[in-house]
Amino acid sequence: MKPQHHPDSSSLMSYAAGSLPDSIATVIACHVSTCEQCQRNVAEAEQLGRFLMESSLPEQSEEESQHIDLAPNARDDILALIDSDEYVEPQVVVESDVQEAPSDVPLPLQPLLGKSLDNLLWKSMAPGLKQFVLPATSGTLRLLRIAPGTSMPIHSHTGSEVTLVLRGSYYDEMGRFGAGDVADLDPEVEHQPATATGEDCICLIATDAPLKFSGLVPRLLQPFFQL
Amino acid sequence: MDTFGSASEPRGKSPNSSAPNNSAPDSINQKLVDLGRYRDKRLFLAIYDHFAPRLKSYLVGRGAHSEIAEELVQEAMLSVWRHSSTYNPDKATASTWIFRIARNLWIDRMRRDKAHLLTSLDSCPTDLYPDLSFQPSLAPLDGDTLKSAINNLPQQQAQLVYKVYYQGKTHREIADECDIPLGSVKSGLRLAFGKLKNALGGEL
Repeated sequence: MKPQHHPDSSSLMSYAAGSLPDSIATVIACHVSTCEQCQRNVAEAEQLGRFLMESSLPEQSEEESQHIDLAPNARDDILALIDSDEYVEPQVVVESDVQEAPSDVPLPLQPLLGKSLDNLLWKSMAPGLKQFVLPATSGTLRLLRIAPGTSMPIHSHTGSEVTLVLRGSYYDEMGRFGAGDVADLDPEVEHQPATATGEDCICLIATDAPLKFSGLVPRLLQPFFQL
Repeated sequence: MDTFGSASEPRGKSPNSSAPNNSAPDSINQKLVDLGRYRDKRLFLAIYDHFAPRLKSYLVGRGAHSEIAEELVQEAMLSVWRHSSTYNPDKATASTWIFRIARNLWIDRMRRDKAHLLTSLDSCPTDLYPDLSFQPSLAPLDGDTLKSAINNLPQQQAQLVYKVYYQGKTHREIADECDIPLGSVKSGLRLAFGKLKNALGGEL
């Protein structure tokens, strides 16, 4: 089924420009890998990027131009590099028609997680809530596995949070989010997600800042949840 | 004040200075195709001379030190040499192809530099820019129209686009730096993207 909720175009732009924290970039990449509409937007934002890169010879003062100009020997160096380069382009393997087993691990994460979400070492955070933390050099990146029919505390965010549903679904004030859907929330938005009944909901969630819970008890729990 | 106006000024002053590629993108695409076919070093140098200074300027703008930027330029151009036979002009213009190479190298470098922050698993575990099946429209980009559309953006939106593309800033960094709400950064970029698309008849 086609996704109903997509990343904000500001996120797709920054993704194309290479300017997202890598936690959020990972979530965007996972959605984009299966969403043709967003692939088109990313391609367009890349066009803008390459236009700006090409026009990227800013007005230079004498001093700056020494900084920007290539070193005098750069041209010789690159010639020496390609002369001694022995790289051979690998033969492209023709894709076979054999369908691989379907996996709900997004393509960009498969090198890290393999093909199964069920084989991960989930860490229990609270009844009905399990977590698997992924490495990210900026921001946080985690998988949450939430039992069916669970209601999360009302919360807003101090920074960006982007969520991609990988399995199951949840509802909040913005609607229903199923597999492939992205919630790309502005920080002002307060929401209270609740998972649908029937199966676990597994989400990939990136933040560039800690969550901010509004109830007192959830706030006290925050250090334990490490959310 | 680093707005777009000043960054793209030189092109306005001497409209022909950067003409070779903008007026004839086909010729540089063809050079890249020929490079893949014939492995001719003179072709490579022609491509190098066009892109290397632009790449360096772009990377320095993003905050790379001069030496690092230079290293990345050489790395990117070596990549161009190595992979030119896989370049397909039906899928992307030469400059988009090279833009992607430079962007991905820059991100890899940033991740490697920060890898000590990671406690487990691999340091660069995910492929942030997988090859996509979608093929963008290849209608030649009208540089003049795009340039005037950029110049017509309200100053704040132009600054946002500038900070994202030229300085590599995250939304949050921009919000902190300009002291505006994060939501305004996102909505400003959203509006700018819509306007630039519209100016080009819905296709960038």
